[in-house]
Amino acid sequence: MSASSIEVRGLSRTFHTTVRRPGFVGGLRSLVNPKRVPKYAVSDVTFDVAPGELLALLGPNGAGKSTTIKILTGILRPTSGEARVAGVVPYEERERNARNIGAVFGQRTQLWWDLPVRESFAILRDIYEVPKAQHAARLREFDDLLELSTFWDTRVRHLSLGQRVRCDLAAALLHDPPVVFLDEPTIGMDVVVKEQVREFLRHQVEERGRTVLLTTHDMTEVARLAERVVLINHGRLVLDGTLDEIRRTFGSTWQIRATLADAHAEVVPLPGIALVRRDGPQVVFGPDGTEGPTVHQALKQVIERYEVTEVAMDEADLEDVMRAAYVQAGPPAEEA
Amino acid sequence: MEAVRIVWRITRLNFRAQLEYRTEFLLMIAIGAIWQVSVIVFATVLLTRFSGMGGWDSSDVLLIPATRMMAHGLMVLFLGRMHGIGRYIQEGRIDIYLVRPMPVHRQAQLEYFPTNAIGDLTVAGGLMVGALSRSHLDWTAGRVAYLIAALLGGMLLEAALFTTVASASLRFPSADYWSRWVEDLLGTFGNYPLNVLPRAVGGFLTYGLPLAFVAFLPAAVLTGHGHDIGVPYWLAASSPLVGLLLYLAARLLWRWSLGHYTGVNG
Repeated sequence: MSASSIEVRGLSRTFHTTVRRPGFVGGLRSLVNPKRVPKYAVSDVTFDVAPGELLALLGPNGAGKSTTIKILTGILRPTSGEARVAGVVPYEERERNARNIGAVFGQRTQLWWDLPVRESFAILRDIYEVPKAQHAARLREFDDLLELSTFWDTRVRHLSLGQRVRCDLAAALLHDPPVVFLDEPTIGMDVVVKEQVREFLRHQVEERGRTVLLTTHDMTEVARLAERVVLINHGRLVLDGTLDEIRRTFGSTWQIRATLADAHAEVVPLPGIALVRRDGPQVVFGPDGTEGPTVHQALKQVIERYEVTEVAMDEADLEDVMRAAYVQAGPPAEEA
Repeated sequence: MEAVRIVWRITRLNFRAQLEYRTEFLLMIAIGAIWQVSVIVFATVLLTRFSGMGGWDSSDVLLIPATRMMAHGLMVLFLGRMHGIGRYIQEGRIDIYLVRPMPVHRQAQLEYFPTNAIGDLTVAGGLMVGALSRSHLDWTAGRVAYLIAALLGGMLLEAALFTTVASASLRFPSADYWSRWVEDLLGTFGNYPLNVLPRAVGGFLTYGLPLAFVAFLPAAVLTGHGHDIGVPYWLAASSPLVGLLLYLAARLLWRWSLGHYTGVNG
C-alpha cells in the first residue's frame, strides 16, 4: 500500500498534430500527404502528493498542467508512464476513480444548467449514493463556509461566475472525496470571493485532510495555499519543492536600499549578503548565493552592522520569480 | 434498479425545469411539430391527389412516414442527445461526464429534456392513427407486434446512425456536421417507397446508409410488398433485428472512441 495519495511515474502524453505546409500548393500537399508531428504535452513527469497535502502544479499556458490533471482524473490515457490516485489507476478504472476524486474545472460547470443548484446537488447525491443525513450535514458545512444558501435555489444559468464556482466546489466535495483536483478554480473571480474560496480550500486540507492538486496562474493563491509546488514547462518537470526553493533557485528575491549616516564608511560583505552597488552613502544589498538569509534577517544584520539614516526593502514578488522560472526553464531540446 | 431510479429522477427534474420556461416549452413543442411539416404535406398530397406510389396503395405508403416519424420521435425522446454531441465536446462537457461515476452516454442523454420530441410524437401519433385507420390490412396481434418491433428497431437504427457520427465527433468534432446530413437524408428519403428511386440510390439507402430498414422495409413486410422490393425477404423481415444489431455495434464504436478521446485541446 503506497503512502501517497497521488503517484505519478514517468508520465508522458504525446498528441500528434498535422502541420500545414506554407502556401496554396503546400496546403494542397498537406491535404494529400499530411505531415504529422508529435507534440509532447507531458514528458516523463514524476511526482507524489502525500495525503492531506496541497500541491500547486504551476507552469505557463500550454505547459502540460491541464493534460496532467486530465490523466489523473481519468479523462485521458497517458502515452507512457503510470499514475495512481488513491490507489486506483484513473484511466483503467474511470468510474472507480471518479468516486475517489472531486474535480473543478474553473471554466466549466458540472452542474445542470437549467436546474436550481440544490437540485443538482440532490442528483449528485444520488449518483454518488451519499446517505441523506450525510448529504444534509455536508451542505450545512459548505453553506457556512461558502454562503451558498442565498442563491442555491437559483438556476445555474442565472448565477454569477463567483456563485457558480462556489457551487461547483461544493458539488465536487459532496461525496467526501479524499483527493481533489482544481484546475484554475478562481479564474475571473473578484478578490472577496477568491479569498472565500481560499479559506474554504485551506479548511478542506487542514480540517478534513483532503489531498488537493491545484493549478493556477494566481501567485497570491499559491503563496497563501501551497506547501509545495511542482513547476512544469513544455511538458517537463522543472522543479519540485517549496516556494522558498523556487525563490532561491530562480534569481534574486530581495534588495535592501540603505542610506549610511557616514558616506565614507567602509562597507564589507555580511554573511549571505552581497553589496550590489554603492553610490556615496546610498548602498544596495542583495542575497549572496542561494542559501542566504530572508529579507527580514538581512535587514536586521544590516541595521546592526551599519549606522543608517534611511532604509527600504524590496522583495521580488512570487510573480516575478515565476516569470524568471518560466524563462529559465526554456523550451525543450526538440523545440529549441 | 438504482440506475433506473436516478435516470427517472433526473428526467423528471429536467422536464420540470423545461416546464418553468413556459414560452420556451411551447415553442419547442411547436418546433418539433413544424419541423415535420414536409411530412404532413407529403401525406396530404399523397392521400388527396394520388391513388398510390411505386405500385403501393396510398394507404400502404402512408404507413412508411407514420412508422418513420414515430421511430424518429422515440429516438429523439430516448436517445436523441447524440445528435449535436460535437457541441458538448467543444464545450468540454464530455470532460465533466468523464469525472462522474456514470456512463458518459447516459449522462449525455440526461443533459436536458427533449421537449421537441413531444411535438414530433404528436405529429407521428396523428399520422399513425391516420395510416392505421385507412389501412385495409387485417391488424392481427402478430402484425401489431411486428409494427411495435419495427418502431423500436427504427428508433435504434436512427440512434445507431447518430451514435456513429457522435463517435467520429469524439475524435474530430467537426464530424458533427455529418449528423445534419444524415437527418436530412432520413427526412427526405425515409417517407416513401424506395423502389421509386434508381436502383443505385435505393441500394445505397439500403446497404450504405441503411435508412430503408427504419420504415420502408418493415412497411413492405407488413403490407405484403416484401417480395418485390429488390431486397431478400428474410433481410427485410429482420429490419427490427438489424436496427438492434446496428445500435449495439454503434455503442461498441462509441465505447472504443471514448477510450481514444483526446479532449478539445489535445
